[in-house]
Amino acid sequence: MVALAAAIVGGLVIGPVSIGTWRIIGDVFSHVGFGHTTLTSTQSTIIWQLRAPRMVMGLLAGAMLAVAGGTYQGVFRNPLADPYLLGVASGAGLGATFAIVDVGHGVSTPTWTPLLAFVGAMAAVTATWLIGGRSMRTGVGTLILAGVAVASLLTSAQTFLQQQSSAGSITRVYIWLLGSLASSTGWGPVTLVLPYVLVCIAVCVAAGRALDVMSVGEDESRSLGVPVRRIRFIVIAASSLGTAAIVSVVGLIGFVGIIVPHIVRLLVGTSYRRILPLSVLFGAAFLVFADTIARTVIAPSELPLGVVTALVGAPVFVLILSLRRPVAV
Amino acid sequence: MSAVDVEALTVKAGSKTLVSNVTLAVEAGTWCTVVGPNGAGKTTLVETIAGLRKASHGSVSISGHPLAEMHERERAQRVALVPQHPVIPSGMSVDDYVALGRVAYHGLFRPPGANDRSIVESVLERLSLVDFRERDVMTLSGGERQRMVLARALVQSTAVIVLDEPITGLDMRHQMDMLELLKSEVAQCGLTVVATLHDLTLAGQFADRLVLLDRGEVVLDGAAGDVIRSDELAQCYAMKLRVVDVDGADVVVPVRQ
Repeated sequence: MVALAAAIVGGLVIGPVSIGTWRIIGDVFSHVGFGHTTLTSTQSTIIWQLRAPRMVMGLLAGAMLAVAGGTYQGVFRNPLADPYLLGVASGAGLGATFAIVDVGHGVSTPTWTPLLAFVGAMAAVTATWLIGGRSMRTGVGTLILAGVAVASLLTSAQTFLQQQSSAGSITRVYIWLLGSLASSTGWGPVTLVLPYVLVCIAVCVAAGRALDVMSVGEDESRSLGVPVRRIRFIVIAASSLGTAAIVSVVGLIGFVGIIVPHIVRLLVGTSYRRILPLSVLFGAAFLVFADTIARTVIAPSELPLGVVTALVGAPVFVLILSLRRPVAV
Repeated sequence: MSAVDVEALTVKAGSKTLVSNVTLAVEAGTWCTVVGPNGAGKTTLVETIAGLRKASHGSVSISGHPLAEMHERERAQRVALVPQHPVIPSGMSVDDYVALGRVAYHGLFRPPGANDRSIVESVLERLSLVDFRERDVMTLSGGERQRMVLARALVQSTAVIVLDEPITGLDMRHQMDMLELLKSEVAQCGLTVVATLHDLTLAGQFADRLVLLDRGEVVLDGAAGDVIRSDELAQCYAMKLRVVDVDGADVVVPVRQ
């Protein structure tokens, strides 16, 4: 909670335009009826239309990607599972590329990019499920392989589209693929994804006890009274939907979904009842912290967010790994 | 009404018939062990009784309730399973592992209640697992692990317990300990046991009744001593067997041909 509070304050306070911490905190309180603000209208716009929506989007994206990664690792019993396992990333990538290179001559960015990215992500997961879901009786291996096949197919289509487009489009596709919260100006994108993300996070966190039971394998879980296939479908659907919603707005932010749950697991043990809610908090704090670095280190330019998450997260993960005994998934 | 009623059960995997037209009734409070050579269909039969496989034809009922009409939770409250190769989840404590057996009662969205905790406590104590309760399940020895898996099945508080080769991988002493423990639970709680065992001597000493299965069909069904001493037993294994009486217990000895 302390890390989350620090990340939130940092996300609001740190930026190219220096505004005093206490003046910002005073302004926040003035919005809920305590005291009065000392910010100019320009400073207020910077805080409430630029930094705050971006910070909230960072919280939502970090929380969703981390909890989806933890959920996938539990449901697939695979430490390498991340939220993009079933083709969300490649589907969203193809959809976004479709919009950015303007294949349809009229599906112009930025209006169409999130919409087509979302449609692409959900279409990819649906295709993966239709191909591999029927074999769920015999385990999840076929579903994972179906995800690999769908992802390969869509990535090759996206690469082809990129190759046919102009240099400017290629650059914009590349920037989108690396992920960024820069597009989250104003509250529009936040309100767009908020309902999906909150519901999906709630479903994933609520599944913690079920995932703990399912750690004894499908047959034993069923003998203990768990409707394994139903639970699996629900948590995969929630993780995929939430991830698709986030990816459609912020692009492909890597590393958070795979590393944050592992860091939490190393700190608190293997129970998903603890891992999932703590991944929500830690993922949210981590991504806002990473974004603060991404937008300030080489300001006014920005570092790709995916680069920062890896640069910050990998050493932290290695440090914890070397200090603690590794635990299985 | 029997504790377990298997009626003309056939189980297929694709076109292959694994269990064929098996009819079996196990009375409450008795111990029935299914024996037979590898590939006879023993595991398929007991997994179907535990509700993990669907019958292609026929039916299985537990205390008069057809398995096919039960939800997962109801089934887990009527029949518990000790699998042949249990999955041991690293990082989980013995206490948490045993408490998994109560999920069918408190559900997936609530923690174990006071009654669940008291049942877990009682079973941990009976099976001498109290001292291990905080230990990581991966740190237990084979014998301790098997006791822990049995404890998880016992806290399900079912009338019927199904065990698939519960003494696989244990030394003689631990095999005997495990079966004695189970026998005392049967006597104390009136449990009905359906088990599979490869060891014919132990099967004969602990079960009230043996069912000899071969190629998915019941070859012989009767009192343990009768099945152990039958000609059919040697024929099913396609080998020469001798049964020796040691202090009143039948010991099955394979004879080299």
